[in-house]
Amino acid sequence: MLSINQDIFEIIQAKFSSSEVVRCIHLNVSLFTELSNEEYRILALVTKKSNSALFLFFCKKPNPIHLSDLFIETVIPIDENFECFSDTILGEDKYLLFIVKYRNFILEFRIKTGLESSNFASEIIKCKERSLYENCDHRWLFKYSDVKSPLDCTENKSQSPDIPFVRQNMAQNQNAINRESMLKYQLKLKEPEFTQYQEFTIFTGTWNVNGQLPSISLKPWLSCDTEPPDLYAVGFQEIDLSKEAFLFNDTPREAEWEKMVLEGVHPNAKYRTVALTRLVGIQLIVLINIKHYQHIKNVAVDTVGTGLLGKMGNKGGVAVRLDLHNTSLCFVNSHLAAHVEEFERRNQDYKDINARINFRRHPTAIKDHDQIYWLGDLNYRITELTTSQVKTLLLRNEMATLLKADQLNQQKERGNVLLDYNELDITFPPTYKYDLNSDTFDTSEKARPPAWTDRILYRGKGIYQQKYRSHMELRISDHKPVSALFKSEISVINQAKYRKVHEELLKRMDKLENEFLPQVTVDQTEIKFDLVRFREPQFRDIIIANTGQVPAEFEFIKKLDEQSYCKEWLRITPYCGTVNPGEKCDIRLEVNLETDLVELDDILVLHLNGGKDMFIIVTGKGQRSSFTTSMRALCRMSKPIMTLDDEQYRKIIALDGEVLYSVPRELWLLVDHLYTHGLTVKDLFESNSTQDSFIRLRDWLDFGSTEPISVSVETVAETLLIFLSYTKEPVIPSNLQNVAIAASSNYHNCKNIINEKLPDIHRNVFLYICMFLQELLRHSSENGYDAKTLASLFGEILLRDPIRNSKPQASRGKSNFIYNFLVNDLSTSIIPIK
Amino acid sequence: MSGGPYNYSYIFKYIIIGDMGVGKSCLLHQFTEKKFMADCPHTIGVEFGTRIIDVCGQKIKLQIWDTAGQERFRAVTRSYYRGAAGALMVYDITRRSTYNHLSSWLTDTRNLTNPSTVIFLIGNKCDLEAQRDVTYEEASKFAEENGLMFVEASAKTGDNVEEAFLETAKKIYQSIQDGRLDLNAAESGVQHKPSTPGRNNLSSDNQGSKDNCSC
Ligand SMILES: Nc1nc2c(ncn2[C@@H]2O[C@H](COP(=O)(O)OP(=O)(O)OP(=O)(O)O)[C@@H](O)[C@H]2O)c(=O)[nH]1
Ligand SMILES: [Mg+2]
Repeated sequence: MLSINQDIFEIIQAKFSSSEVVRCIHLNVSLFTELSNEEYRILALVTKKSNSALFLFFCKKPNPIHLSDLFIETVIPIDENFECFSDTILGEDKYLLFIVKYRNFILEFRIKTGLESSNFASEIIKCKERSLYENCDHRWLFKYSDVKSPLDCTENKSQSPDIPFVRQNMAQNQNAINRESMLKYQLKLKEPEFTQYQEFTIFTGTWNVNGQLPSISLKPWLSCDTEPPDLYAVGFQEIDLSKEAFLFNDTPREAEWEKMVLEGVHPNAKYRTVALTRLVGIQLIVLINIKHYQHIKNVAVDTVGTGLLGKMGNKGGVAVRLDLHNTSLCFVNSHLAAHVEEFERRNQDYKDINARINFRRHPTAIKDHDQIYWLGDLNYRITELTTSQVKTLLLRNEMATLLKADQLNQQKERGNVLLDYNELDITFPPTYKYDLNSDTFDTSEKARPPAWTDRILYRGKGIYQQKYRSHMELRISDHKPVSALFKSEISVINQAKYRKVHEELLKRMDKLENEFLPQVTVDQTEIKFDLVRFREPQFRDIIIANTGQVPAEFEFIKKLDEQSYCKEWLRITPYCGTVNPGEKCDIRLEVNLETDLVELDDILVLHLNGGKDMFIIVTGKGQRSSFTTSMRALCRMSKPIMTLDDEQYRKIIALDGEVLYSVPRELWLLVDHLYTHGLTVKDLFESNSTQDSFIRLRDWLDFGSTEPISVSVETVAETLLIFLSYTKEPVIPSNLQNVAIAASSNYHNCKNIINEKLPDIHRNVFLYICMFLQELLRHSSENGYDAKTLASLFGEILLRDPIRNSKPQASRGKSNFIYNFLVNDLSTSIIPIK
Repeated sequence: MSGGPYNYSYIFKYIIIGDMGVGKSCLLHQFTEKKFMADCPHTIGVEFGTRIIDVCGQKIKLQIWDTAGQERFRAVTRSYYRGAAGALMVYDITRRSTYNHLSSWLTDTRNLTNPSTVIFLIGNKCDLEAQRDVTYEEASKFAEENGLMFVEASAKTGDNVEEAFLETAKKIYQSIQDGRLDLNAAESGVQHKPSTPGRNNLSSDNQGSKDNCSC
């Protein structure tokens, strides 16, 4: 798996020029809006100098194997406009939503949670943080201008506000990345408040030992100063020239030289190895005075071979990075290409080392450290002068002329190598090439011109070089060791001050978090409806205004142990939504009473996602109506329901009183009207009458009138259906429905149910309706109805389900049941009607 | 950059309950904003506030729900008790009736929360000594009999406000430490901070300081 990643990594790197370094990649990302999983995408974080950008690649295959399998879909520069954060995806814990914003440009990705994503996210955050201190220059991205990029996203295309969105996420605790990166960023800004500089002496040394055994004390080199340094970085080259070392990168010399170093360090302090790294013969040891050991963190090493085939370890560089207190340090020991004329190769080696050293933790690259110390056998020679000329100039101490002829100085001046690095003036003689065990320059046949091959340079703030020298007395190699002593300013955290700043920041963020909770006001929290009447909807609008600083997602939510967020007589539209800051949203509350409820009373809970809940009280009075009163009560009413006084009404509802009618008076009025006016009307039950005419008829029934019915016969027919649909109990009571359906194939059994099981008034109503329907069927040539149609229409109503709106059940059985009573003679069960 | 965890490691859910006007919203406001609201409207709903505190070196995020005290909302506010790790039960020392109702608030709390929920009794408005209607002693006795923690506080002066919230958190934290509170129970009212990309190992940090907590 790792190797696949590595391969893809390299393919992606190949898409870029060598100065554009792919820092890390994330495979298998998908756009959140995309539902298909057929698309493969890769995110890559690419850095050029101090500028970074996020590249989105579209790939043709899940694992691209060729440059042509990949193309760049989107480029997002990382600077102060760039933001990223994560969010949870509802119902998914293996994936998270990774949101990238650049001004108004937003991309949402779905990525797998895990190490890869967390590393990737923290790398991005680091780049973002760094972009805040550096001048951003995105010109390098212009060549990708044919791809979609937020750089050309104009400001005014705003669809959603930026900051609030982030803050909202903060408020919802869903965004620890964001909170954390914000805190870190703020801490970084406040660093001067809780750090101070402390001077550390750093001793760096380099020696090409020419494969010689470690046989002499290194004290004259490592302990030549009076005071013990705080830190040592000691580099060797060519510690082992054997084939074994070259091929297997394994040598007993490593430990031997380390031992020599430990024995050679300053006697007035104790040291401990922080890191040791080696590539074939190139070795680097970093030691720390033990009193500072606990302040060293995040130690990492890496090596890069630039030798044979551009990757073997006979040449190349090794590096150690670490944090000392609050300053990041990087030490590089390199052995660059040999031979006088190969200076361009050396320049290239230097570039390769820079590009390829990757510490796999932040910062990953050499250049991103606060302080860098670069030492080694850089192998630059003196050109244009013969051996004897060099020697003569040395004797005359004409250093300036010599240093001008030094290739490193020349290449550096042209900007080809070690740009921005400093080197103290050289005052010591060339360190190469000497006869072994002597201080005499090469007397062999080749008589190579002496050169300053062994060098130490530095880059970064607060570094003051004290000494730069060679050590003649170490004679076993054809090179002389070199050392440089630095006084370097290391940023040290004052724990007390740090805690205080940290505490304050946390408090401020708490406050922000409360401030950025969603806030809305509602224009009324008590809604009173007027008298609410049967099937006569009323509505009220309330206004939700977002008075906060973030979009407010609202939703009416259920209370404990309740089925729905509101009572069945109420409807809320919309019951959820989002209101942007400064904006409003109308919510319509609609009551529609279909029961005999008198006290309408509900408390709605308006919930803000990530914020508070508000209660809205809804009240109203329901008006009594014959439509919602039980048929047994209606048969006891001598006059319209609304003309009863409260006392009479209460008595009748309690079924206290004499039965006056065999079917409810209202039912009789409706059916009688249809007998007279409706038998020959085509499609009698199919017209949709107006709400207004229904209400007139309802009131005509409930209040009573001396006027005749003034609405169309179709309205009367529809009102009859409504009346039968809302009777307090279905005409065939719920508990008899299954028996009725079971009996539906046998008229005799059906008749038995009606005669023996039904309460009197229900039986009367049932037979009364059936007789009316039979009468209707006698006029079927005019009204177009047949028994089957009527049976299924009235089956659904007379045997209606106890819970309204639930799916009609076994409707064939219901209609079969009714059918029996439409096609058989009912005269045996004649009922008297008053 | 060195330094410990930047973020909180637990979330504790609190509810604040008690009769209307006893000062629940003012207590919350004093705790989160360090300010007193002289004319605070009745809460019609449930307000929400958060603050990160430090208990035994642990950063803990408090999520506080301030409920409406009016009697007619009682049925609805009962929905909010579930999953509270701490319940701050407030009465007004200048109004006896608010004290008399405590037993009914307590019954609700006991019925609707779990046994490990920490209940903290607050006698608010202790700045109004002249109008005192409930003595410290009797409230203290009530608290003791019912196993509640208790202070008198003032949302106006800020006296003991911080203490009430923090002591509750300490008690909850202790319950976690000695295992009385099961973090995995859905309704414990305590959440481990969700592990998030960016920084891991928060939980292992917790383990480290577990034993040397001296609170
Ligand atoms: N003197 C004094 N007044 C207080 C104190 N705390 C609250 N008040 C006042 O008491 C009144 C009610 O306070 P709130 O915080 O709104 O009471 P509440 O318990 O939230 O009331 P509901 O939201 O209706 O349940 C306000 O006018 C406050 O100014 C206090 O400690 N001292
Ligand atoms: Mg309140």
